[in-house]
Amino acid sequence: MTSPPTEPFVRLEALTRVFQEGKRTRPVLNGVSGEIHKGKAVALLGHSGSGKSTLLNLIAGIDSPSQGRVIIGGQEITAMNEYSRTLFRRRHIGFVYQFFNLIPTLNVEENLLLPLELNAASTPGERRERVNSLLASVGLSDRAGSFPDQLSGGEQQRVAVARALVHAPDLVLADEPTGNLDAENGRQVLELLHGLVRDEQRTLLIVTHSQAVAAQADQILTLQQGRLVEAADKVLW
Amino acid sequence: MVSFPTPLLWKSTLRFYGRHPWQMVLSILGIALGVAVVVAVDLANESARRAFDHSMQAVTGQASHQIIGGPAGLDEAVYVHLRREGLVRDSAPVISAYVQLGDRLLHLLGVDPFAEGQFRKLLDYTDDAEAGDAIRRLLIEPGAVVMSREMASELGLQVGAELSLHASGLAQPALLVGIFDPPPGKAAALQDLLLTDIASAQELLGMVGRLSYIDLRLSQHEPEDRLTDIKAMLPSNARLVSAESRGQAMGQMTRAFRINLTAMSLLALVVGMFLIYNTMSFSVLQRRGLIGNLRVLGVSRTSISGLVLGEGFLIGLIGTLLGLLLGMLLAQELVKLVTRTINDLYFVVQVTGVELSLTGILKAVALGVGATLLAVLVPAWEAGLAPPRMAMNRSRIELKASRLLLPLALAGLALIGLALVLLLPNRSLVLGFGSLFLLMLGFSLLTPAGVVLCSKLAVPLLGRLFGLPGRMAARGVRASLSRTGVAIAALSIAVSATVGVGVMVESFRTSVQHWLASTLQGDIYIAPPLAPGSGSDRRLDAALVAAIEQVPGIAEISRGRPMDVQSAEGITQLFALHMAQQSYAGMELLEGEKERVWAQFDQEQAVIISEPYAYHHRLQAGGLLRLVTDEGEQEFRIAGVYRDYGSDQGVVTMRMSLYRQYWKDDSIFSMGLYLEPGVDVPGMIKQLQALSAGKQVLRIRSNRTLREASIDTFDRTFAITNVLRLLAIGVAFVGILSALMALQLEKARELAILRATGFTPGQVWGLVTTQTGFMGLISGLLAIPLGVMLAALLIFVINRRAFGWSMDIILPGGVLIEALLLALIAALLAGLYPAWKMARVPPAAALREE
Repeated sequence: MTSPPTEPFVRLEALTRVFQEGKRTRPVLNGVSGEIHKGKAVALLGHSGSGKSTLLNLIAGIDSPSQGRVIIGGQEITAMNEYSRTLFRRRHIGFVYQFFNLIPTLNVEENLLLPLELNAASTPGERRERVNSLLASVGLSDRAGSFPDQLSGGEQQRVAVARALVHAPDLVLADEPTGNLDAENGRQVLELLHGLVRDEQRTLLIVTHSQAVAAQADQILTLQQGRLVEAADKVLW
Repeated sequence: MVSFPTPLLWKSTLRFYGRHPWQMVLSILGIALGVAVVVAVDLANESARRAFDHSMQAVTGQASHQIIGGPAGLDEAVYVHLRREGLVRDSAPVISAYVQLGDRLLHLLGVDPFAEGQFRKLLDYTDDAEAGDAIRRLLIEPGAVVMSREMASELGLQVGAELSLHASGLAQPALLVGIFDPPPGKAAALQDLLLTDIASAQELLGMVGRLSYIDLRLSQHEPEDRLTDIKAMLPSNARLVSAESRGQAMGQMTRAFRINLTAMSLLALVVGMFLIYNTMSFSVLQRRGLIGNLRVLGVSRTSISGLVLGEGFLIGLIGTLLGLLLGMLLAQELVKLVTRTINDLYFVVQVTGVELSLTGILKAVALGVGATLLAVLVPAWEAGLAPPRMAMNRSRIELKASRLLLPLALAGLALIGLALVLLLPNRSLVLGFGSLFLLMLGFSLLTPAGVVLCSKLAVPLLGRLFGLPGRMAARGVRASLSRTGVAIAALSIAVSATVGVGVMVESFRTSVQHWLASTLQGDIYIAPPLAPGSGSDRRLDAALVAAIEQVPGIAEISRGRPMDVQSAEGITQLFALHMAQQSYAGMELLEGEKERVWAQFDQEQAVIISEPYAYHHRLQAGGLLRLVTDEGEQEFRIAGVYRDYGSDQGVVTMRMSLYRQYWKDDSIFSMGLYLEPGVDVPGMIKQLQALSAGKQVLRIRSNRTLREASIDTFDRTFAITNVLRLLAIGVAFVGILSALMALQLEKARELAILRATGFTPGQVWGLVTTQTGFMGLISGLLAIPLGVMLAALLIFVINRRAFGWSMDIILPGGVLIEALLLALIAALLAGLYPAWKMARVPPAAALREE
């Protein structure tokens, strides 16, 4: 997936999302617009309940906006049907969750193999090679046969990071990746995430409420009252 | 756009079940039991039908047509005339009747050894060395018989053994002169055959000068005028029928019985389907987060749905194979019950074993796997709809469940409405059963609304009874409606099926008891002992009848003679009856004004017909009925319609004097004695037994004994239904155990939080037990109205359309209480393990993230 060098990789146009809760409606995003360029690590800051995860879900195509558009690599996600969005997500997006969300009934190696198997773009031999390489990168080569409930929180998140990158997605989305880890583990995971993204030349969007986490990104966007504003000390575009 | 699940996804699913083995085991068991019941009933029905067909074919042999006569058989002059005229080259006279040898019922077949070879070749099966001798002895020795080697071996008999046969209670000497070995394919069908010369048979059965029928072998392309010529030479009471049609007519007699049995077995399978739906729905809900996760990773909706369908297929396949094995075992016992019922109510059939054919296996696999996949369709579709969010929070799920309350309830009402529409006047049994299943489905959709209502009402009550855990238990049921609603619906459907069948059987039983008490007005009833049939093998000895009539102390005697006759409606059961004055009051008339009915019956060319006969043939009082008599076809007025539970085919009753006017037959088959006041019944019975000793073996029973015997027959008939009901209860029990256990174990984290907050193990026990008990109680309470509606359908629609009977609905308190207790006990048992586990496990262990 490519876009012309000057064109943003991710473009958000007037995104609005309103939730229905019983008889009430709750607007979460209110005309959010913004751009992310290829190869950049962007942090999305906001306090709890500001709509960060909602915005992430819209970008990933796992939720639909009430209004507005999401364009990634020149393709309008919001205009696709559900099946096309699924295929797009499978090929071009990697996800890292706060609570790891590894498949509990697959071991570490199998968790990494799953996205490759879904894409079916490589041979079994190539898949194993890729998995082994990433496991080595995250320092878990010796835990390939372990199941998630046999790993510590930090180890699980490292596996999750490897899984998010194994199929070489163009865009990696991370929702509070260090939110469930202690400071040291969080630091290590973040370092790993940034390192791998940079090495593989992916675009990264991290959702966080931590200024310290956001500070490591190339750009900081802030969600306030349903709108995207630029951070005071980082150039946006 | 279909994509199939990848191997890793299948691996993940199998390991999920490996970690929750009991869920899968109980699901498999649920479908296995359901399939076992269907397979067992199918096998039993098929085995009985096949045994009957084989028996008919073995005895009919090469005969293409038969000439049959009236109730007293056919004059043998017809055969002589047929041979002399040369109209048919291949013909053979036959006597056919059932006789008793010890406690074995045997089929006595009297044949002409010279004509026999063209039809059955039975004598060809006799050992070569003895064949000539056996045939010679059959021809010249009176009472000479030949039997199968298997029967001879079973009875310990050898050639030359003297036998005492009982025909119609009269002892007749016979001599075993030969043994035959039928080929393997016919061994079972001919096992109980006793072959003799036709003259010997005539003497043994008191049918000298008469035949049961004449076998004919005509070519398939026989010209129509040839058949016309044959018919023209027959006397007025004889007719030419195809051999095949006779067998088909007899097979049709049990059709309604077999359909009902099959429907009952399908009910067990439907209950199993509801439980599979419940278990799979729950399993999908358990993995909601995982499914959402997979969707984010890029697994498509069709893959997710395919995974769930695949799980269903696996459960269905394993359950079906297990069900096949269980069904084979169950069939061994069930076939005995089915055979006994057919023998009690319809005709003699001997079934020696059950065989599972390839067709039977394929049918069971299609049904079991098909039923499971049908049950899994909705959960699979729902799983595919799971949004690809990072975590689908419980509150969203429950909100959605609440929003669906009204649409589901409306859909449920619509289905119930459709069920009622299907009941609009028609006679279709299939539509009747369709209505039954739609009613169950509609009710299940109304259940969540029922749960919400019951929970609201229960909160203050349970709070008062059990304090905080009580209030939490009631609120918890409402709060987890997405799970509890399904589980309660499944349990109430299962329990309602047992209520419906239980109420139907009790109502029927009570109606039969009332009818017996009303109809049996006599003090003593006399008949020869034998299986149902109207041939000469059941008549009372004329001299003995005359002697009984002279016994002092008898005020009145009714006399009866049942037979099959041909009518415009096909083969009809006719009952010639000389009624005692006291018996008129006992007949419940359903159509026709009493005095006019009896006046017509006693004085005119009129009959009364039973309710089933009127229903099946769409006849009513005032109509006309044509019967083939010895004097040709005659028309009789239908004076009235009466209640009768004795035969589901229906009976036409005619006064004895009118019967003798048109049929040349003065035999009596049964007597009812009305004693003078003050005469002791047991004493009279002893007197009658002494009178008949050495002359004819008779069943002499008091009114009370006969009623008890009749109810015994009824209970035996419904033994099958009760077995099926118990199995349906078993299916329900197994399924609900798995569903409720899963429900409680899913709350492990919730309960751990309560423990961490300060709930004692005892309070956790109380909460879990109260909640599951409350769910059981709701299920039981909801099952009762549905069960009563099902019973009403079974009584007023299914029974009516299948058998033609009408009856009142009786609500036995025992059945209703049993249902409530079943639901309650199943639910409480289901809560035991989770309550025990949650009370024991340290809260920290349950609170730890996976």
